[in-house]
Amino acid sequence: MRLSIFALLSLSLGLVAAKKSPQEELTELAAAGNGVIKVTNERTFDLLTLPSRNWSAAIQFTALNPQRKCKPCSEFDPSFTAVAKAWTTVSEPERSDHFWATLDFDEAQQVFQKLSLASAPVVHFYMPLAGPRGRAKDTPLKYDFSHGFEAGPLAEQLSSHTPVPIPYKAPIDWASWAVYAAFGLFFLVTLPLVAPFLQNRWVWAAGSIVTSLIMTSGYMFTRIRGMPMTSGGQWIAAGYQSQYGQETQVVAAIYGLLGGSFLMLTMVTPTQTSPARQRTQVYVWTAIIFVVYSILIALFKMKNRGYPFSLLF
Amino acid sequence: MPVAYPLPKDLSPATVANTASLLRIVALALISGAAIASRLFAVVNFESIIHEFDPWFNYRATKVLAEKGFYEFWNWFDPTAWYPLGRVVGGTIYPGLMATSGVIYSFLHAINLPVDIRNICVMLAPGFSALTAWATYMFTKELKDESAGLLAAAFMGIVPGYISRSVAGSYDNEAIAIFLLMFTFYAWIKALKQGSAFFGTVAAVFYFYMVAAWGGYAFITNMIPLHSLVLILMGRYTNRLYVAYSSWYAIGTLSSMQVPFVGFQPVSTSEHMGALGVFGLLQIIAFSQLIHSHLPSKQFKTVVLGSVISIGLLGTAAIVTLTVRGSIAPWTGRFYSMWDTGYAKKYIPIIASVSEHQPTAWPSFFMDLQFLIFLFPAGVVYCFKQLRDEHLFVIIYAVVASYFAGVMVRLMLTLTPIVCVTAAVALSELLDTYIDPQEPDASAEVADVAAPSDNASAATPSKKVKKAAAAASAAPSNPISDLVNANAPAKTKKASKSRGIFGLDTRIAVIFNTTMMLLFFVAHCTWVTSSAYSSPSVVLASTNPDGSQHIIDDFREAYYWLRQNTAEDAVVMSWWDYGYQIAGMADRPTLVDNNTWNNTHIATVGKAMSSSEEVAYPILRKHDVDYILIIFGGLIGYSGDDINKFLWMVRIAQGVWPDEIQEPNYFTPQGDYRIDDQASQAMKDSLMYKMSYYRFSDLFGGQQATDRVRNQAVPKVGPTLDYIEEAYTSENWIVRIYAVKKEDPLGRDLKSANAFAEGKKRKRTKPMTRRRAII
Amino acid sequence: MLALWSLLLPLAGLAGLVHAKSSSGDSVLVVLEPGLPKEDFSVFFSNLKEQGYDLTFRAPKEVTPKVIEDDIPAFAHVILFAPESKAYAADITPQSLVTLLSEKTNLLVAVGPKTTPLTSLASEFSLILPTPNTPLISHFPKRDTPATVIPIEVASNSLLTAGTPPVWFSGVSYALGNNPLLVPILAAPAESFASDSTEDSGADALVDASEKGGEGLWAGSATSVVTGFQTKDGSRVTWVGSVTLFSDEFAHKALPNGKASGNEQFAKDVAAWTFQEKSVLRIESVSHHHVNGTSTPDFYTTNDEIVYSVKVSKYDPKTSSWKPCTCRSDIQLEFTMLDPHVRTTLVADPSDPGSYTASFRAPDRHGVFKFVIDYKRKGWSSLQSSTTVPVVPPRHDGYPRFLSAAWPYYAGAISTSVGFVVFSALFLAGDVRDVKKGKGLKHE
Repeated sequence: MRLSIFALLSLSLGLVAAKKSPQEELTELAAAGNGVIKVTNERTFDLLTLPSRNWSAAIQFTALNPQRKCKPCSEFDPSFTAVAKAWTTVSEPERSDHFWATLDFDEAQQVFQKLSLASAPVVHFYMPLAGPRGRAKDTPLKYDFSHGFEAGPLAEQLSSHTPVPIPYKAPIDWASWAVYAAFGLFFLVTLPLVAPFLQNRWVWAAGSIVTSLIMTSGYMFTRIRGMPMTSGGQWIAAGYQSQYGQETQVVAAIYGLLGGSFLMLTMVTPTQTSPARQRTQVYVWTAIIFVVYSILIALFKMKNRGYPFSLLF
Repeated sequence: MPVAYPLPKDLSPATVANTASLLRIVALALISGAAIASRLFAVVNFESIIHEFDPWFNYRATKVLAEKGFYEFWNWFDPTAWYPLGRVVGGTIYPGLMATSGVIYSFLHAINLPVDIRNICVMLAPGFSALTAWATYMFTKELKDESAGLLAAAFMGIVPGYISRSVAGSYDNEAIAIFLLMFTFYAWIKALKQGSAFFGTVAAVFYFYMVAAWGGYAFITNMIPLHSLVLILMGRYTNRLYVAYSSWYAIGTLSSMQVPFVGFQPVSTSEHMGALGVFGLLQIIAFSQLIHSHLPSKQFKTVVLGSVISIGLLGTAAIVTLTVRGSIAPWTGRFYSMWDTGYAKKYIPIIASVSEHQPTAWPSFFMDLQFLIFLFPAGVVYCFKQLRDEHLFVIIYAVVASYFAGVMVRLMLTLTPIVCVTAAVALSELLDTYIDPQEPDASAEVADVAAPSDNASAATPSKKVKKAAAAASAAPSNPISDLVNANAPAKTKKASKSRGIFGLDTRIAVIFNTTMMLLFFVAHCTWVTSSAYSSPSVVLASTNPDGSQHIIDDFREAYYWLRQNTAEDAVVMSWWDYGYQIAGMADRPTLVDNNTWNNTHIATVGKAMSSSEEVAYPILRKHDVDYILIIFGGLIGYSGDDINKFLWMVRIAQGVWPDEIQEPNYFTPQGDYRIDDQASQAMKDSLMYKMSYYRFSDLFGGQQATDRVRNQAVPKVGPTLDYIEEAYTSENWIVRIYAVKKEDPLGRDLKSANAFAEGKKRKRTKPMTRRRAII
Repeated sequence: MLALWSLLLPLAGLAGLVHAKSSSGDSVLVVLEPGLPKEDFSVFFSNLKEQGYDLTFRAPKEVTPKVIEDDIPAFAHVILFAPESKAYAADITPQSLVTLLSEKTNLLVAVGPKTTPLTSLASEFSLILPTPNTPLISHFPKRDTPATVIPIEVASNSLLTAGTPPVWFSGVSYALGNNPLLVPILAAPAESFASDSTEDSGADALVDASEKGGEGLWAGSATSVVTGFQTKDGSRVTWVGSVTLFSDEFAHKALPNGKASGNEQFAKDVAAWTFQEKSVLRIESVSHHHVNGTSTPDFYTTNDEIVYSVKVSKYDPKTSSWKPCTCRSDIQLEFTMLDPHVRTTLVADPSDPGSYTASFRAPDRHGVFKFVIDYKRKGWSSLQSSTTVPVVPPRHDGYPRFLSAAWPYYAGAISTSVGFVVFSALFLAGDVRDVKKGKGLKHE
């Protein structure tokens, strides 16, 4: 083991013309890659994770080739690059105590195999094994993606391991601010025009009704859980405690239709002055209520298989 | 005037009124009976037992209150909870529930009815549900009329969304809180309608009761100011609003501060700042109105108005500054997580881990509210049509509560009353329209509706009387006419000239349809209540192949084993869900319980559970743990077990020790959560995994052992234990108890001591190099 | 005081005037292997008998009397003089001997250069035995005996009689692990080493070998020949590298300088320590109360002044009784909740022999605290005591009622009340028409 590393080292020394320490070499590589060392062979990887290293390294294992169809990889890569770029602003002695590297599956497949990695993206954090921050154990820390792929949490989490906290600042989202400002301005300008509209109770009624319909048909569930609209051609999620986005729309529509039918029966039908037309209306709405309600029950029965009741369907 | 069906004509209005009120009383009594009876499934199916988790603590606290009196309860320090930190119970609970039971207990004993405190606790929630139905009736009556009130009370009595938290034995704060919520709102609306300081005070007193009973009081604290603010913005400021709000806020806030757990929060936390701000705003507006009425000079008025506005701005700025500086606590995590829905998972996993804090999928709504859920928007539309002050309240309540219920399953409880109220309003409007016997003139336009007293129907006499009164009374903004004229607004009166239903068949069709829906609702409620909400969760029920019921009583079996077979001061470690039950049923000290106040302590338990034995043992010794209790459902397929909760333990531990516990280590490289051969090493080494599957494969006698919850094959060679030993496993393996071994008398680590006891040869060691000593 | 005791005890024993008895029982089982007739150890055994021990003899392979039955030990002490027996009856296994120890039985074990079941047991006690058949060898001091028979100087040790002459030893030495429960009694001489040959040339090879790794080096005073071990349960074991140390032959054998050997005295001392005659302490009682109170409360309030006292006694073999012991000055008390919040020395109470007290203020922290005494000194039996007591916050009426800092609040409350009364009085006494006017305004 040790011998092979010596061999590697001598190899690396042979390759680089001047006699450079591994750390200097890595610093150069990092500078060349705008803060991120692009690992394209096993040698660079071994250099980064040298058993005698007194630096730490955060290595991103990814698969950016579109053929690999790794959507999270391409989602996460900009965050990693942004955090690594932020690290280049750290002043010198600390800067070269920590390296950022990225390793693409198509360029260094053997490293993936060596670490028996089967998924991407993965971020390994190699703690230094020598020097003042040295640790005894050579097992990399794995970054926990439960906080999402954003750069903010990445910088925050890794800051506890880097020599100095990562000076990462989320870029100010000018675009959304501009949109907000534009909306505000637009609102102010059109206020005199829409004021009568805003003062109309039925506008507010429509707003309130739509809000409560959407909320009571599980919109917040799909939002918080990030449920897709449909999945695999199915628009009804299996199970009582789950649902897809499509269901929200359908259920909200059914609720709206049923509630609307009742309103029709109560508010519109009695104002009808022709008995015959009124009778038709009453029967139509009653039938709609019955049929749509049966559909709703059938839908519920699909979600809750043990439900004993059913109407038409 | 044509009628659809004939009505008796020789009844005096007095007889009609008397009969109607008698029928109302009988109906209310029957509704109360139905509300109580439908909550007794749990007692009938199982027995009179306390349910779930939190109620066990409430029950234990109530026993202390009943036995030792109020002051001892007030000063109760529980050394057995959160061992060894202890818990100052008096200062960390809402005592309303226990105090209520204590009062009932004392009263019954004073009149020589020696009722067991347990039965009072079990029956408290059904009893209060009858009161809730009544409060809902009162509330709805203020919105529409008595018939809508009765419908609302009936809905409230049996709706599963409320039954879920108030079956017999569900002795939790919510059991009385919903009644208090509804009654406070009723008193508030009453106070607002009448401008009555008396009803304002009543609202304040019930608000205080609510504060003493449930943490959800913040809902009232923000609903009433929000309502007032909307009224002000709509230009509906009146002196009635001023009187109602000021009396409610001043008395309510002062009295709520008497609850030790609340303390100075009403003046120092952001949740309460809205109420304070609206109070200030009302004072400013009232003052400017006063100035306005006394000072004719326009310039002076402008100056006053300007100064008043600047005072308001200054006040707001002061609140903001104080919040920024930290004098006013920002929103608590629980509150904040309702707006930023990702917040809890990120920063307070302990809150996110609770199943009742999950968002609600639509089947839950339908399960809990059934056809009320689509009548609810119709009722809201009715409120918009009327749009008096109290209808505004209902609208705001409806929108806010439906959002909250969507975010958190638990808050379905606050949505339920308003859904019942609005649905009842909508349905009663429908019934009013279709039961009303009078038909409009087909040729129309000239029908006389203003004086229909001669053919008043028996079903809606009060309505007719009121209509007549309404016709005579002044504008609806007059408070007195508002009070009397709860039903008939001026608008419908005009429109109703041509309004009405022709024919009897149409009436029968609609009424039949509606009645069937109501009957279906009753069937649904009964089914849901009996099948889903009446399980005590302490006792489980399953069905035998022959269809008979099989009771799984592992929890009590194990807790009683602890009670009978362990030392009285033996400390039991378990995940926090079972803390209250262990304290209540086994009477043993616990490390953590359902009062999740100390995140670090919970994380310590999580760390012990998710670490290897060697790492966990010093933690166990430090906390004097004698026994570890885990829940394992793999044998009979009980899915709420600890392996399924395990990731939360890991997450919570990771929050405190990110270097030592890392969630990804517990997944397979493919990112799966597995317990079979492919399980990750950290998973297999963890104490929880070992305790769950210890000796599990032996049960299958050489055949493939399968975990029936996760449907995965369990490795043939099970885990071995060195630092703990199995002490007890319940009949269906749901509860497994392990004893923590003492330290080895020879000072070895227990692993090598075990190896020695099993006769394994130790590797030869060499003496340590002491070359330096020789020189 | 200590010195006096240690002087008095052996003197009394020597004189044979008093029957010194163990604090944990008198029955002794001696397991003697057939190659060792008990007559060869008559001095040692008769000394034990004289002290009042009840000796039972048995060979390793005999089945009765059983040393332990159903996990209940039959004897208070067991002497295992079987350094060469490879096989024992079923009741004596390394595992059962450990069980004996946890059941408070004391052991005196002799090991030899041969591999026996006891060899593997020794490693459980962090004793590291040399390779088989490598006895301890020393060529110093110059004498006429073989190199394996060594006179060893007895270093002064609180367990042993001061001034014991050198003892003859012939057996194995062993290295000690870093187990804190070990009590070294007799170290090997600095010049000695373990070797399978008496030739000096072999010794060099051994040193070379050990330097290169592989076999370890058992040499010098770092290795030990007699070692005590006190288990956490309080029982004691003594491992002796040579059974002949106790023999009549060595007891009577003159030292190279012609004087009598110390073997007899040394054997008695070792037996006295092992069989719990010497250095045995126990806690009689603990009590705690408020500073100006006497009864033990169920709980303390934060910041209470607490007095804790403990009574310690020491076993007196002379009278076979426990005597109050004011002999220790370094006993400490910890007031612990997870971590010690208070750690203080327990001071001997001069008025009450054997009693130690400490008084301290409870921390300003509520919780379940423990008074912990965990006293461990080499050679002495450990003192352990843990008393749990909750420390609770003050009662609702236990806080100071009037605070000068709260005057602004008092003033606010009083002025509001006065203002209310004045306003009510003015309002009620005011002009009726004015009031009506005000009401009318309200209705607008």
